[in-house]
Amino acid sequence: MLKYVLKRLAASVVTLAIVITLVFILLRQMPIEGYFDNFEKLNEAQINAKLANLGLTQPIFVQLRNFFGKLLHGDLGLSSRYSVGTPISQIIAQKAPLSMWMGLMSMAISLLTGIPLGSAMARSKSGFWDKFGTVFIVFINAVPAAVYYIFIQMYGTSLMGISMLFDRANPVTWILPVLSMSLGSTASYAMWIRRYMLDEMNKDYVRLARAKGVQSQKIMMRHVFRNAFVPMIQYIPSSIMYTICGSIYIESLYSVPGMGGLLVDVIGRQDNPMVQALVMIYSAIGIIGLLLGDLLMGVIDPRISFVKKEGAR
Amino acid sequence: MSEKTENPILRVEHLDIKFNLRGKVLHAIRDVSLDLYEGETLAIVGESGSGKSVLTKAFMGLNDINGWIDHGSILYQGKDLAQYKTEKEWLTIRGREIAMVLQDPMTSLNPLKTIGAQIEEALRLHQGLRGEAAKAKTIELLNDVGITEPERRRKQYPHEFSGGMRQRVIIAIALACNPRILICDEPTTALDVTIQAQIIRLIYDLVHKLHLTAIYITHDLGVVANVADRVAVMYAGDIVEIGTSREVFYEPAHPYTWALLSSLPQLGKKGEDLYTIRGTPPNLYNEIIGDAFAPRNPQALQADFVERPPFFEITPTHKARTWLLDSRAPHIDPPKVLSRIRKLGNS
Repeated sequence: MLKYVLKRLAASVVTLAIVITLVFILLRQMPIEGYFDNFEKLNEAQINAKLANLGLTQPIFVQLRNFFGKLLHGDLGLSSRYSVGTPISQIIAQKAPLSMWMGLMSMAISLLTGIPLGSAMARSKSGFWDKFGTVFIVFINAVPAAVYYIFIQMYGTSLMGISMLFDRANPVTWILPVLSMSLGSTASYAMWIRRYMLDEMNKDYVRLARAKGVQSQKIMMRHVFRNAFVPMIQYIPSSIMYTICGSIYIESLYSVPGMGGLLVDVIGRQDNPMVQALVMIYSAIGIIGLLLGDLLMGVIDPRISFVKKEGAR
Repeated sequence: MSEKTENPILRVEHLDIKFNLRGKVLHAIRDVSLDLYEGETLAIVGESGSGKSVLTKAFMGLNDINGWIDHGSILYQGKDLAQYKTEKEWLTIRGREIAMVLQDPMTSLNPLKTIGAQIEEALRLHQGLRGEAAKAKTIELLNDVGITEPERRRKQYPHEFSGGMRQRVIIAIALACNPRILICDEPTTALDVTIQAQIIRLIYDLVHKLHLTAIYITHDLGVVANVADRVAVMYAGDIVEIGTSREVFYEPAHPYTWALLSSLPQLGKKGEDLYTIRGTPPNLYNEIIGDAFAPRNPQALQADFVERPPFFEITPTHKARTWLLDSRAPHIDPPKVLSRIRKLGNS
């Protein structure tokens, strides 16, 4: 088990290094005009001075080596354009917690509503809950999120008699953005748990449990639901991880000062150190999420073993 | 072949079961009557789709919800199971009175629970055992079904067992219910040929040791000959012949039984083609007139196409539904190849 984890971690580090290197090199291919606000007005000497200041005149491998060298010491560098001279770690530390809180809350809502909805759907196949849930899922998937987000914001805020914008200190203003954020995952959790439960319900072991004389209510809880939940568990760590990144659209709609949209913003401004740092963080989060998901599956599903079996076929 | 009594433990009378499939009605069991005697082992044979499983599942209320008992009764201990509707009623029967061993051991166990937990689930429900008592009983049961190192094995998961071992676990689960009737639905079909004999032997021994009444569903006639006291032959949702194993094997009376026995590969001789029954079973969506087997029977009588034959009693234990037994019918000899069965039986 430990050996497997170490192997996976090593592989993750290599993946991460490749991703960063690629992004690093690609960023250096951007037109230099992007680094200036007033490119037309500057003469060549001024341009070169600025570029040298940004460290862009050195050969690319030297730049890369410097970057990785600093990274090993935990230094993400300074923002070059977004908020000139501010350490990137400080910017992220300021913005990430809010996004994370909102994300975690919306995830909790999705799990607490989506899973019960999906299992109610599986139980009442073609009954009321199944029809209700299907309408909900189709609606959420078919209507562009932007449309119902705006409707929720417009009607929700006027109904609740609050301002359209987010206010950190006023908990009531958290409700609508968090709720909007949760809708998509609620629908997908409901859809998947329904599907997995229906799969399990048709398996022979459920038939055996019935023949054994177990109540259908208990078969549902102890056998069907539990087994259907296992494939879903795999995705939970990654979805927790992704909530840290924040929701670009929701955050801009309600002016939430979170992480969402930060990456898009700094790419537009060609703030190379910020882009590199953010890409690295996002990739690391993605990779760790997948790894945790796989490990969690191994803990929960006894059929998965990380140790090579002797003489196993 | 012992302990057989004259008291019917289960009595099926004129049972009709229908299924609704996409708006069409399928007549799966057609007017079946059957007595199951306490302590006997009854084998039900027939090809796929003949209604063997549907009939026995009806005893436990395990047929799919699109199926229903159209009329008839299933009498068990003074109660008519055919009238049972709610799950609560069926829970008094399932496992507790009648237990079942399913066909495919590879998929019949919950992959995420230890086999100990799955046996204990039945012990808790039907014997009220918990904790240490349940654990001890589980180990005892695993021992009974021939699993070595039961203390260690009970903590393992189904994927750590081979097919034959899993079938033993499933048998242990059935026994944990402490039933009076054990239904084995093709218990060896999914297993390796080498394992089949062991499992049959095991079930045979346990049934006798625990004085169970057993129903064996199979299409393997070789299995039947070894374990069953009586054999019922099913065709197109009906029992066409029933008698002691000896009677059905040595003195079969129904043309379908003849055909079924003739297709035993053991009867074939080197160089000869194996016997096959021509045609396909009738479509159970349509109403069947006369003898259901007549269209596939080259020697069918005219009466076979007109009216359903009644049961003719050959001996008090041997009955067959064929017009050949009517006094007006011409004499038709069973296929010669069937004489080889006696030789097989003797060897």
